[in-house]
Amino acid sequence: MSRFPHVYVMNVMSNDHPGIVAAVSEAVESLGGNIDACSQTVLGGYFTLIMIVSVPQPVDPDALAERVRDSGSGNSEYQVMVRPALTTGGFTPGETAGRFVITAFGTDQPGIVRRFSQYLAGKDINIVDLYGDRTGDEFVMIGQVEIPAHWDIRMLQADLEQMGADLGFTVKLQHENVFVATNQLRLTHSPQGLAHHAAH
Amino acid sequence: MLRTDEILSTIHMLHAEHLDVRTVTLALNIEDCAAPNVEHLCKKLRQKIHSRASRLVEICDKVGTKYGIPVINKRLAITPAATLLAGHGRAAALAMAKTLDAVAAECRVDFIGGFTALVQKGISSGDECVIQSLPEVLAQTQRVCSSVNVASRKAGINVDALHLMGHVLLKIAAATADRRGFGCAKLVTFANIPEDNPFMAGAYMGSGEPEAAVNIGVSGPGVVSSALRRRIALGEKLTLGDLAEEIKITSFRVTRVGELIGREVAQELGVAFGIVDLSLAPTPTVGDSIGEILKTLGISRIGAPGSTAAVAMLNDAVKKGGLFASSSVGGLSGAFIPVSEDATLAEAVGQGHLVLEKLEAMTSVCSVGLDMIAIPGDTPAETIAALIADEMAIGVVNDKTTAVRLIPVPGAKAGDVVDFGGLFGSTPVMEVRNSGASDAFVRFGGRIPAPLQALRN
Repeated sequence: MSRFPHVYVMNVMSNDHPGIVAAVSEAVESLGGNIDACSQTVLGGYFTLIMIVSVPQPVDPDALAERVRDSGSGNSEYQVMVRPALTTGGFTPGETAGRFVITAFGTDQPGIVRRFSQYLAGKDINIVDLYGDRTGDEFVMIGQVEIPAHWDIRMLQADLEQMGADLGFTVKLQHENVFVATNQLRLTHSPQGLAHHAAH
Repeated sequence: MLRTDEILSTIHMLHAEHLDVRTVTLALNIEDCAAPNVEHLCKKLRQKIHSRASRLVEICDKVGTKYGIPVINKRLAITPAATLLAGHGRAAALAMAKTLDAVAAECRVDFIGGFTALVQKGISSGDECVIQSLPEVLAQTQRVCSSVNVASRKAGINVDALHLMGHVLLKIAAATADRRGFGCAKLVTFANIPEDNPFMAGAYMGSGEPEAAVNIGVSGPGVVSSALRRRIALGEKLTLGDLAEEIKITSFRVTRVGELIGREVAQELGVAFGIVDLSLAPTPTVGDSIGEILKTLGISRIGAPGSTAAVAMLNDAVKKGGLFASSSVGGLSGAFIPVSEDATLAEAVGQGHLVLEKLEAMTSVCSVGLDMIAIPGDTPAETIAALIADEMAIGVVNDKTTAVRLIPVPGAKAGDVVDFGGLFGSTPVMEVRNSGASDAFVRFGGRIPAPLQALRN
């Protein structure tokens, strides 16, 4: 829920260094705005930030972007994009079988992410988080996905494993609770998790 | 959102270290199948087990697939057969066992446990029927497993019962001589038998248990061994305390996987979730071995001084990790050291590093006891009984479960190698020193009174 009625989504990219968030948030504050949500990632020495900002009075998105761009200190240049936020929550999946994790390991080659993501898109499976990393010649891809309830998990697993085998990749599709159970203090993400998922 | 490092470390454990769920055991109360007529009894038994267990394998596979974790064994356990066999004879016992064998095959489970008698204080007619029928039952069935509890902290040690077991074991070995006495591998003699143990051959359903429950046995020692080797390979200076911590963390994660799968299988089957058994149960697969863990911990010959301390540390760390992971810990929950089922232990026996007496010492600090040990076929019944008595004494005095699974291999001498196949592995026949020197002790019979530990109230 936003603090103020006029809501914008802002994306900032820069080479990474201390002070970016401070500069961006100062620019938002100077417009009387509020940061309602934010998330940042640093990859390959680059910083990227997505932020939901709300303000009491409407502002021109480009002016907001310009204000943030101007806050960039000395030798760093911010690429900033702002647009009015959607009034609805955007894509909402239908009934899901829960959140699953796809992991793929193998010798790197162009087209890995494309092959898997095209398959998922074709099945209306939403990627909620994606990680990929090349170390040496090896590529690791981890995707957290929401699978519509009507799909047979075994069929998806077979398809993905076969696609992996064609590329020389080891691919697994597993429900996220196995990762929750083995790493976190609780057995599942939600107390009702098992009941919910078992119902499907 | 899950963190990438969390996902990667679990993936490593699942796929590089072969984490699995060793067994999902559905325990069923069958007391309502009692009938004066054996045909009627068998019919009720078949119907009851079918109605409860026919979907077990399918559900385990489905849940295992969802999480990407194989459930290796699916099994059944029932209330002690002795409770249904009171008033019946050996023919009825055999008919019941064959029914259990058939229905287990129909449900596609590899074993059904609970052909059991509880005789720690005395032998009832049903118990007598079970014990006397064992040579025929274990020779003529494939999947039926048996256990006999001959001692407890509260009752002491029933020497008459374990003397009888000495003779019965020799008869079972003779009845299965063509399979090197393999029938004895499906029979465990216990002190303080747990009522919710998912592992074979000792699984049965105790009297305080619900109508039906799912009990879980977690993955084997291979996961712990790999985790230790990986930690050591990092090259940092480690103490035994650090290694114990590594075992504890691994055990936590392994237990969590067991509980996750167990709860979901129970829910889908519509039965209670029972317990997670924290035992590290080895398999003959190279690397999936308690002996391998001891080697990783720096005991280069299993059986060397330090072996007992290393097992104690392992056992303790496994329990500590598992206890925090689950509020439903039960069963045996300790490291098993079954000789033939653990390639490294069997090898240590072959090389003369590991002897019966050292194994006995190791069982005083871990689970379960003198397990899957081949002994010469000409070992006298009284000596077998006395071997059982020693192990029972460790259990009764230390208030823990101990068990004995000895296989007197017909015609075999110490040093001969026997292969029981599959999960049961192969092992050299162990020397039993001082054979024949305990006869008079056992022949006194009666009961060794309950120890002081029984009077805790």
